[in-house]
Amino acid sequence: MNRLTGFSRAGMAGAAILVVAALVALIAPLLISADALDVTRVTAAPWQTPGAQHWLGTDHTGRSVALLVVQGAGTSLFVGLTAAVLSVGIGTLVGIVSGHFGGLVAGALLRVTDFFLVLPALVLAIALSTVLPRGLGTIVLAIGLTSWPSTARMVRAQTLTIEARPFVERARALGGGHGHVIGRHVLPSVVPLVLVNTTLAVASSIVAESTLAFLGLGDPTRISWGAMLHQAQLHGAVPQRAWWFLLPPGLAIVVVVLAFTLVGRALEAVVTPKR
Amino acid sequence: MTPEVTNPVLELKKLTVHYGHKRVVDDVSLTLAPGQTLGLAGESGSGKSTVAMSVLRLLPRTARVDGEILLDGHDVQTMSWGTLRAVRWASASIVFQGAMHSLNPVRRVGDQIAEPMRLHGTPGRVTELLEQVELPLEKARAYPHELSGGQRQRVMIAMALACGPRLVIADEPTTALDVVVQAQVLTVMKRLVAEQDLGLLMISHDLSVLAETCDDLAVMHRGALVERGCTREVIANPRHPHTAALTAAFPVIGDPAHRWAEPAAAPEPLLEVRDLVVDYGRTRAVDGVDLTIGQGEIVALVGQSGSGKTTLARTIMGLRKPSSGRVIFDGAAVPLKGRALKAFRRQVQLVLQDPASALNPRHKVLDAVAEGLRVHRIPGDEESLVTAAVERAELRPANLYLDSLPHELSGGQQQRVVIAGALVLQPRLLVADEPVASLDASVRGEIVALLLRLRRELGLASLIITHDLGLAWQIADRVAVMHQGKIVEQGSVEQVLLNPSHDYTRALLRAVPQV
Amino acid sequence: MRLAGRLGGAAVSLVMVAVLGFFLFRVVPGDPVVSMTRGRPTTAAMQAELRAQFGLDRPLHEQFWSYFTSLLRGDLGTSFTFRRPVAEVIAERLGPTLLLVGTATVIAVGLGLWLGVRAAWRRDSAFDRATTGVSLTLWAVPTFWLGMLLMMVTGDLFPSRGMRDTDTAPDFVSQALDVGHHLVLPSITLVAVVCAEYVLVMRSSLLEEMHAPYLVTARAKGLRDDLVRRRHAVPNAVLPAITLVFLRFGLVVAGAITTETVFSWPGLGLLFYDALTGPDYFLLQGLLVVTAGAVVVMNLLADLLHGVLDPRVKVV
Repeated sequence: MNRLTGFSRAGMAGAAILVVAALVALIAPLLISADALDVTRVTAAPWQTPGAQHWLGTDHTGRSVALLVVQGAGTSLFVGLTAAVLSVGIGTLVGIVSGHFGGLVAGALLRVTDFFLVLPALVLAIALSTVLPRGLGTIVLAIGLTSWPSTARMVRAQTLTIEARPFVERARALGGGHGHVIGRHVLPSVVPLVLVNTTLAVASSIVAESTLAFLGLGDPTRISWGAMLHQAQLHGAVPQRAWWFLLPPGLAIVVVVLAFTLVGRALEAVVTPKR
Repeated sequence: MTPEVTNPVLELKKLTVHYGHKRVVDDVSLTLAPGQTLGLAGESGSGKSTVAMSVLRLLPRTARVDGEILLDGHDVQTMSWGTLRAVRWASASIVFQGAMHSLNPVRRVGDQIAEPMRLHGTPGRVTELLEQVELPLEKARAYPHELSGGQRQRVMIAMALACGPRLVIADEPTTALDVVVQAQVLTVMKRLVAEQDLGLLMISHDLSVLAETCDDLAVMHRGALVERGCTREVIANPRHPHTAALTAAFPVIGDPAHRWAEPAAAPEPLLEVRDLVVDYGRTRAVDGVDLTIGQGEIVALVGQSGSGKTTLARTIMGLRKPSSGRVIFDGAAVPLKGRALKAFRRQVQLVLQDPASALNPRHKVLDAVAEGLRVHRIPGDEESLVTAAVERAELRPANLYLDSLPHELSGGQQQRVVIAGALVLQPRLLVADEPVASLDASVRGEIVALLLRLRRELGLASLIITHDLGLAWQIADRVAVMHQGKIVEQGSVEQVLLNPSHDYTRALLRAVPQV
Repeated sequence: MRLAGRLGGAAVSLVMVAVLGFFLFRVVPGDPVVSMTRGRPTTAAMQAELRAQFGLDRPLHEQFWSYFTSLLRGDLGTSFTFRRPVAEVIAERLGPTLLLVGTATVIAVGLGLWLGVRAAWRRDSAFDRATTGVSLTLWAVPTFWLGMLLMMVTGDLFPSRGMRDTDTAPDFVSQALDVGHHLVLPSITLVAVVCAEYVLVMRSSLLEEMHAPYLVTARAKGLRDDLVRRRHAVPNAVLPAITLVFLRFGLVVAGAITTETVFSWPGLGLLFYDALTGPDYFLLQGLLVVTAGAVVVMNLLADLLHGVLDPRVKVV
């Protein structure tokens, strides 16, 4: 049976959007001259409404909003992906270790996981990015280090489920040790779930990045969608009704996050067996 | 000798059910008179549960139902929703299988019994119903998880009787229960059916359970009704080959025709268990057990669930550490860890109850069977070793199966793969935990025959753990009876099963339903 | 026995919160005083005073001990920007946040659970598709952006800054109406995003129960469809959903920070924003400890509530 047939239409649409977004993020830096985004060198007037020349208008410094949105895709996607990989990586490791091995270590890991699971991740991320030097790395760390517990919880549950299955008991009875059980039985069954989780984690990481940037905690040297909205708020886009400065970056976030979510849910439907 | 029926409570006329293009029930016609008890037998997937659910129109929307289902003369198929709701439970009720899941876990059982009475305006009290099923009255305030399996099934029966129906359908009512508890529940059902002159349609895969409760018997196979008649006659003289296979699967204890094991001379001891104690926290699961298995001997360890027999088996395999006592294999104490334990595990192999879950669903047959070879890094051509083992387990030709995934195989084939995975390491002892309990009746005999052939040809000894005294009669040389962590009686099969000396053994034998 | 365990667990969590609050602000590379006073005219004396306040001149375990004992006394240090005790500043801002978060949570839970139940019961219906689609989209929407959009779209219809106008009559009714008027946009923003999550949680929780055999039993008894749902399916499905709702209370906290920032709602969220723009480490530390502590307590309450609602869990 073709696995793709289980993939929903919404999932396909999401995947298509992601391909486009990735292409934009990769190609944009090659096509946009640095001058067009340099506050000191732009020539256009600030707060221009959309028109023939700047078809999404200009921001408070006179830079083209359209170019900013295109340029911002790279930052948002990069942070989203790396933070998600970091977070899911930590979560998977903690989950498998605390699920497979019993004893004190597992107990302590579980306690720590549960503790961080209930803490508001954004508050921790804010605290981390406040104390660490500003930069892309800080944002990735702040998001990745605070969002792993849900993955750990899920991977642990899956590990426990698999280890309770008779085929693992059979493997042990055959003489298989920890490495054999984890490598041959636990990991292969955890991988699909981890994949789904990574996709969904990218979505929430992008939202988290935009929130941190909006609060002024982003990398001040880089353009991201959240940072654009930070500028919009700071320079009064709302009272000026500069909808062209407010809508595009926000919509970009919504569309990309929704796309990741749809792909994640479609993957989930494929990997979880139907009853 | 079916009595002439004038006004049947239930009449099925050419009932056919499709799921998509798959025909699950095929042209089934049968009638049930008031006060009549009819057993519907069949293996898993024979369509018997679908018949039960169709009577109250409880099948999922995807099912297409043709033919007529007349309940008290009215066609269920053409009823309006309102009429149907009024008929449900008041005319016919169901005792579902698996009471644990068929009762709402967060509501008190008393409320759940009273619910249909309030709904249909039936007079009566919950306490009377509980009395009828011999449950203490204060249990009305209990939640399902606070009751034992037998008590939950009694609650289901009380609930089914709540609105005084003319027909009760019981779908595998005792399947998950222990022999002794099963006997108690069946007694209650039999008494109530007789007292209240109910029609009973009882569905089970277990012929002996049906023989115990029902006057008439119908056998289903692949959706069709293949045989129908008086229970004694059907079992004594089955006309359809499938019925014959079903009856053969339930051995009669004491009948030499059902005793398949050949008598063997007293063998040298292979495995000895000496004064073994295993504790789970504060509870003592195994309490001072002595047991010996000879070279090439088949020993059956029988007992109810919770008797400690599974824990004993796990400890023998080195999967659990004993609290005290010793396990001696081939003259040496079984090591508790490291390389020596790993080497020991080559000699003793495990066969589990449910082959579907004993195989990793992602692993092909080749990988599943070769797992032991890879764990022990055994030299030689892997594929030829695997092929030999698979063919020993009677999957021939092996290359037809090596690339299959477990879900593509039948239950019997899966169990053969598990056995092949054990054989490939050339073990000297097989520990089999309920090896045939989850298999269909017709396959069961083949696996039993396979285990006996392996003993004959390879001299392979087995410890068979089972709740099924019939299996012990069929296959074992010796029987050990386990009760509350202790072995209360052991000896040759004939001695223990035909002339039991311990009260508990006698109680177990009494509880076995008689065909 | 179990109750004692739960209380003990919560107590350990609270201590962990305190430890976390301490070390998070000690991992700062370089001198925290320098980064805190970055871009501000400060004298060496002021820096020395700050350093003494942080206790940076003392060994780490002494620092922790004095921090921990003052925390137990309710002393969270002194805010650098407000030049007042942190505990006092936080207490002042608690009311508005409770009002906003309380209003939004009640509406979001009610609406979310109701929509989730409806959607799951008629799975794949137009209603289900619409509800799920809207929820997924709202889940993707950054809270602050939704707030800004609402503010721009509604124009002068609703006040967009603060909690009350200065020129409102001082009597209770006018004041209440004024606060209510100010509350509209922030609560809609918070409800929209949080509710989406609850809809999805409730929906999947009920879908899990849809195949449960006890629902077949209920139907066989002759119960109407909506009774099967109300009496049997929902009571079971709502239990895990409630636990999840409480587990994700951090989501509400996060939403409150950005919502209050956008609407200048004078609560803890806005205080958070002020503290991080400082940055005012003592204030941030205090806020972190207080919010995290509140979440731990909320979770304990959820656990206890679950024990009361679900007979399978014995708490006492």
